[in-house]
Amino acid sequence: MDAGLTAIGAGLAVGLAAIGTGLAQARIGSAGAGVIAEKPEALGTVILLVAIPETMVILGFAVAAMVLLLGG
Amino acid sequence: MNIEMLPLEIIGMKTDLQAVVHTLRSLGCVQIDPLADFKDVSARPLALDRDTLQEQEDMNFLVARLEGLLDILGYPEHSGAVSSPEILLDQARLEVDQLLPKVQALTSHREKLLAEQASLPHYEATLRKLLPIIPPSAHEPGNSCVGVLVNREHTGVLDSVCKRILESSAGRAEVVASDIDSSTRAMLIVFPIGFIGEIEASLGREDVSRLRLPAELGEGPPDVVLAALHRRLAAIPVEIKEIDDQIVFLSTEWSEKLLSWRDALRDVLDANNVLSQFGETDMSFVVVGWTPAKDLEKVVSTLKKYIGDTLAVQVLPLTPELKKRAPISLDNPPITKPFESLVKLLALPRYGHLDPTRLMALFFPIFFGMMLGDVGYGAILLVIGLVFLRKYKQGIIRDVLLTLVMGSGWAVVFGFLYGEAFGTLGEEIGLRPLWFDRVSAENVAGLLIMTIVIGAVHITLGLILGVWEAIRDRSRSHLLERGGMLVGLISLFLIVAIVLDYLPPGLMTPAIVALIIGIVLLSASLGWLGILMGPIEFIGLIGNVLSYLRIAAIGLASVYLAKVANEVAGMIGSAIVGIIIAVLIHALNLVLGAFSPTIHSLRLHYVEFFRKFYEGGGRPYQPFKRQFGSDSWRSNR
Repeated sequence: MDAGLTAIGAGLAVGLAAIGTGLAQARIGSAGAGVIAEKPEALGTVILLVAIPETMVILGFAVAAMVLLLGG
Repeated sequence: MNIEMLPLEIIGMKTDLQAVVHTLRSLGCVQIDPLADFKDVSARPLALDRDTLQEQEDMNFLVARLEGLLDILGYPEHSGAVSSPEILLDQARLEVDQLLPKVQALTSHREKLLAEQASLPHYEATLRKLLPIIPPSAHEPGNSCVGVLVNREHTGVLDSVCKRILESSAGRAEVVASDIDSSTRAMLIVFPIGFIGEIEASLGREDVSRLRLPAELGEGPPDVVLAALHRRLAAIPVEIKEIDDQIVFLSTEWSEKLLSWRDALRDVLDANNVLSQFGETDMSFVVVGWTPAKDLEKVVSTLKKYIGDTLAVQVLPLTPELKKRAPISLDNPPITKPFESLVKLLALPRYGHLDPTRLMALFFPIFFGMMLGDVGYGAILLVIGLVFLRKYKQGIIRDVLLTLVMGSGWAVVFGFLYGEAFGTLGEEIGLRPLWFDRVSAENVAGLLIMTIVIGAVHITLGLILGVWEAIRDRSRSHLLERGGMLVGLISLFLIVAIVLDYLPPGLMTPAIVALIIGIVLLSASLGWLGILMGPIEFIGLIGNVLSYLRIAAIGLASVYLAKVANEVAGMIGSAIVGIIIAVLIHALNLVLGAFSPTIHSLRLHYVEFFRKFYEGGGRPYQPFKRQFGSDSWRSNR
């Protein structure tokens, strides 16, 4: 039971963070596609902007790893 | 590394203007800037005479016509030779005047045929509806036919039309009507050709439109017209093919010549356009720009050789204001050159600031290799990269392929260190990890710590470079910001080391004091907002370090997907189906393995590393040189 709850907790940590990242990247990505269409030289900046919310899911991964490694 | 640039001022007699322009263009190493950018140089902008302006306008018009022709005839791979640029304008204008009407006539006829080809099938459908109601009298000589289609809701109108027609033709017309589908009623009027005026008038009075067909199909009963339509439909592709053949013939004959004229004219226009950046006094002209320091001697000696002593070339002092406007040209060893494209993808570094290309060339492939870390995938990507490199000899695609090849090489190295080939398949064939097995549960914690340490080292290096840049730039705010981050981060490492018993507990108090000092310095760089933003920025810095966990996360995702592929293959009864599924999943993993580590390595550099020291926004060095024109023409000049 404990192991199961730990796994669910770890899954939620990554999953919810991934949803947050996905929502943010969806908006930034669609706006970024528009920017690149108008200004192709802004590709690097757009990649940078799209990549910024990924920190959330990486932090979620860190929390999940801690939950599994320390809590399990 | 960026090349040292020198601001230049060239002053000469107006009589030498054209010679100077051509010499500078032949040199191809001087970037000409607008005079207004150099505040210390005083001269009025060079005014071009009316004849030159008229000639430029003529050339622009001719270039537009040449490009219009090339759009139709197609651009050849090579341009032809232009024998004499002096007579180019007249010769090109004359021949374009003769060629353009021919090409326009061909394209306009082709468009007409295409439109006809698209519209005829619509008439076919209508004519087919009339076929069942054709009376025998329609084929008798001296008779003509008119078809009418109306909606079945308005059949009353047809009755009225029928009555009028019979009256006006004294009963000599024959009218046949029938429902041809659920919504349409067709009427075919056959009458002696002499009554055409009365019939048209009767239809007009009832406001009914007769079926009108293209003149090319001729007159006659619907079956005859339909046969003509089929003949026309068969003939149109042949006519289009004939036109295409003529265009191909004209293209073979003309396109190389047209392209060479276009290039030669644009070359002349380029030379003339640059004159708008020149300045003048009553007798002399002045031009300002930039040249790499290594080319200065060549520029001075060549100008002196071709123009003589009436020309003065001097290097201007590089004031801070000019330094901000200096163009930048990167100069890196061939092995790191491909990474210039990745740096430029974000922004060119500003002149006089650090070019991170070499650092990126060092870290990017290692991060890529650490994430992918698989002998099998690495070897496949290496081979794919090498194969495509034979095709792409230059450009950004070649640069990306070279970075992929280097990253794949490191992936093979880390594959041996982790003991992975197509995930866990390597273990089955006896591959053992030289360092540690990252799939194993007891090694995951070590893997995560290792990536955090890599992040800490990478970001600390970035901050050290940032502090160095701030000192060189004499920027107090940057020094406080980056110095505060550096002190705070190192203090935090010390605290972690003390907590983990790697350092004596007695160092805890100095470490905490240093941490507070670091955060205070960081806050001070942000002004009054720093009280709130300073600690938030510091937490963001810790987030930057933790962001390097993605090196472990991406790698683990890849290895687990490979493991799934291998295990699914074993679980399926049929060996062939199992192998096919495994290959498909491995192929997906390979694509992800090429894409994901590239994007994440880029992100780690752009977001985490570069933001600690990088000053982007540089202006690319674009020397004035020939962009167009054939070699033969150049040699003739």
